[in-house]
Amino acid sequence: MELEAIIGLEIHVQLKTKSKMFSSALVSFGCPPNTNVDLSDMAFPGSLPTVNKKAVIYAIQMANALHMQIDDTLIFERKNYFYSDLPKGYQLTQHYRPIGKNGYVEIEEDGKIKRIGILQLHIEEDACKQMHLKNKSLLDFNRAGIPLLEIVSLPEINSGREAAKYVEEIRSIVTYLNISDGKMEEGSLRVDINVSVKEKGSLGYGTKVEIKNLNSISNIQKAIDYEINRQQKIILSNEKVKKETRRYNEKQKKTELMRIKLDSVDYKYFTDPNIVPIKLSEDFIKSAIDSSPELAKQKLERYLSYGVSNNDARQLLADKDISNYFETGMKKCSYPKEFAKWINQEVLSYLNKYKISILDFNVSPSQLVELINLIKNNAISNKQAKQVFDKMVEANKDAKEIIDGMGLTQESDETELTKIIDEILDKNSQAITDYQNGRDKAIRYLIGEVMKVTRGKANPSLTNKLIKERIERR
Amino acid sequence: MNYLSKDIRTIHNAILDGKVTPLDLVIEAISLAKKDNNNAFEYICEKEAIQKAKSLDKNKISKLLYGIPVVIKDNYATKDIPTTASSNILNGYVPVFSSEVVTRLENEGAIVIGKSTMDELAMGGTGTNGHLGITYNPWDKSHTHIIGGSSSGSAASVSAGIVPFSIGSDTGDSVRKPASYAGLVGLKPTWGRISRYGLFPFACSLDHVAYFTRNVFDSACILNVLAGRDDKDFSSSFKEVEDYTKQLDNPLLGKKIAVIKEINDSVSSQTIKEQFNKTVAFLRDNGAVVDEISIDQKLLRAIYSTYIIIASAEATSNYASLDGIKFGNRIDGNSYEEVVKKTRTAGFSAYAKRRFVIGSLSLLKENQNELFLRAQKCRRLIVNAFNKVFEKYDAIYAPASPTVAPLIKTTKVQIDNDSLIADNYMAFANLGGFPSITIPIGFCDGLPFGGNLTAKPFDESNLLNIANELEKKTGLANIVAGK
Repeated sequence: MELEAIIGLEIHVQLKTKSKMFSSALVSFGCPPNTNVDLSDMAFPGSLPTVNKKAVIYAIQMANALHMQIDDTLIFERKNYFYSDLPKGYQLTQHYRPIGKNGYVEIEEDGKIKRIGILQLHIEEDACKQMHLKNKSLLDFNRAGIPLLEIVSLPEINSGREAAKYVEEIRSIVTYLNISDGKMEEGSLRVDINVSVKEKGSLGYGTKVEIKNLNSISNIQKAIDYEINRQQKIILSNEKVKKETRRYNEKQKKTELMRIKLDSVDYKYFTDPNIVPIKLSEDFIKSAIDSSPELAKQKLERYLSYGVSNNDARQLLADKDISNYFETGMKKCSYPKEFAKWINQEVLSYLNKYKISILDFNVSPSQLVELINLIKNNAISNKQAKQVFDKMVEANKDAKEIIDGMGLTQESDETELTKIIDEILDKNSQAITDYQNGRDKAIRYLIGEVMKVTRGKANPSLTNKLIKERIERR
Repeated sequence: MNYLSKDIRTIHNAILDGKVTPLDLVIEAISLAKKDNNNAFEYICEKEAIQKAKSLDKNKISKLLYGIPVVIKDNYATKDIPTTASSNILNGYVPVFSSEVVTRLENEGAIVIGKSTMDELAMGGTGTNGHLGITYNPWDKSHTHIIGGSSSGSAASVSAGIVPFSIGSDTGDSVRKPASYAGLVGLKPTWGRISRYGLFPFACSLDHVAYFTRNVFDSACILNVLAGRDDKDFSSSFKEVEDYTKQLDNPLLGKKIAVIKEINDSVSSQTIKEQFNKTVAFLRDNGAVVDEISIDQKLLRAIYSTYIIIASAEATSNYASLDGIKFGNRIDGNSYEEVVKKTRTAGFSAYAKRRFVIGSLSLLKENQNELFLRAQKCRRLIVNAFNKVFEKYDAIYAPASPTVAPLIKTTKVQIDNDSLIADNYMAFANLGGFPSITIPIGFCDGLPFGGNLTAKPFDESNLLNIANELEKKTGLANIVAGK
């Protein structure tokens, strides 16, 4: 029996709006507990919700980036249940009329593009953060009411690797749209996974198992692969997969039982009567879309058009802060290809070595551009540039200043160089003969002599050119 | 001289003339409230009110409500003043903010002297179901008749002459029905006309800020103060606020008024029928066109069940926050489930629980189509039928209750299947958000009863105009129990 896995993902993304979804309390991380709380976040009787326009704009931008149909009416439902982290006894969400429907993203694997369908995108609010101590639980209402987007994929993912790519793509979109930090480790992007295994080609689905508590993309892949394997073994030994919720144990690299799923909870959804349906005008939707920041995909095309290599462009875009660094520098840079390369090679290896973010990197984009310009104008050699770069990082000084201090400026004055070359040629007739007899080594020897005289300052390529010219003339 | 049983204008003029001061008024109102034997008060704001009366901004003396004492139903949040909605689950709860209504009144100089009793959480229409027990009808010294509810204490305090006006809330007919039993003017404006911010939600789509006065002019004046957009309430209207006193005295000539045969037919009291017909004759004599029209009995009968299902469904969700974790008198347990269960079991009356069960049941997946969504469709049909009437008529006029205030001992707290159309139809104005007013039109065995006028949304000026002209004919403005 050949088996296949069917995987569906629900992703919750915390939006980085200034204020909460339905109140004016600030959205801000790292504040003391219960300091960013408004009346309605705590469900004070008589408090009422108001709708955060910015969050709606973000949702429209996301729906657009996911190629979705955008609903022109904004309606919220109440999802009713009792839980200690739920202030009102219900969560405001969009059950019947999600703001986005029927979209997709494309992922690339081994050069092949696969389209993953997205059922819906809806706006909702976050619950309290709970901290369970030995004999009590603490509630932090700072998180209650923070806007969330929930993105529900179709069950069109078949492996852990695909799921990881899918999450990577969603993460890239939300970070490039600048609507969320998209950090799994900090909970601003949360992923719930449904995995089932069935006989390949058969209709219907196998028993769904939910996996929660995943804190990184690599764990998503590992958890799914483990889970597929686990379910396959059960099926192949003629047993039944149980409907349950599991968590990923990072240390043991396996999924483990959290709870058996009983009948699903009836959330008694109904439309919130306090938020009268809001008609979203065509103009409003259009201007939200028009003001969308550029996505990684669009940036890639642009970078390629600059002449940046495909690999370099993708590497820059893997981290939004790095691509921002590149773009800031590009405002003054005429050599995109070389600039990109420098970032990916020298800068990244430095950042990796010291494990710091580009945001903490002390060479500014324009300083690095200046260095590239010096190379391209033959003021210094590539080899010298690397030394200069090291000093720039170390001393936090401009390239020019360092070059002057090191006495590194290249001799690029043709008249001056010609004079020096002529003197050297006069003394080295054997070398000239060797060159004329086709020995390339001789040129290198002559360049070395020029370097000795100039103490390495001669521009190598110019020297090379001039030596050849001067020999011809003899 | 007792000013508190006068109309607001008279009291205002006395303040302007220096005959009485806000402090005098507050002290008198508080002493009357303390002597109240109708169980109208949850809390008397003695210290707070005296303090406010002493520190009123004298520059505001020209404002009509400057120094005027008012009573607020106990389901409005009042900053630093206990607010329980007459439910044990909220015993000891002191809000940290005030409702928009209270803020607006206080900005005009009005002084809150007390919080009034009500049916628990505004659920119920009898005034017998609050945690402090039965609220009595001041017109009945023997304490054998109800005052109606849920705004029972607010009605009692105005009809007993303790304050000239009071704030209630109206989700089914919770101001307009007690207004009938208490001989008062009770106005519920259009849904969205007055901000609900700070009103404890019972059924948000049906909840209205509403209030009692002793005459129509005062009612118009209060609307001038309370109406208008509030950004804190997303459902509050941007529609311009009028001066609602301006058209009060317009002639009735040419106004078109509908009376509904099926409602009148179900009125049980012969006296009410006859007096109602006399008032219809007044209207006609003054040039109004009054037509008797018919509305499908089935729709009229459906008003109550539609209302009960929608109201209970919303209520079960609205009061889910009272779980003992954030709000409600917590009763401890070993898990949050246990805390929630114990707190809610102890905190709510059987009647409230019954409504929650109905609400919950009607929202369950397997019932939602048949109950909740059917009720929503029904709501639409009912509202459409009345909208159709408003295409042709300025107002619908009907008796506000089929009888005078019923006896306490025959009053059922339970939800009832075979009640009269005339006893339950007024909720159509909540289903449609229509502005609706009850005014006294007569007496039977010493107890007052009212007539009810309802108009199309945001037509308050027209509605108040007709009510005011009618009031001139009945001569029942400013009646106070026992005077």
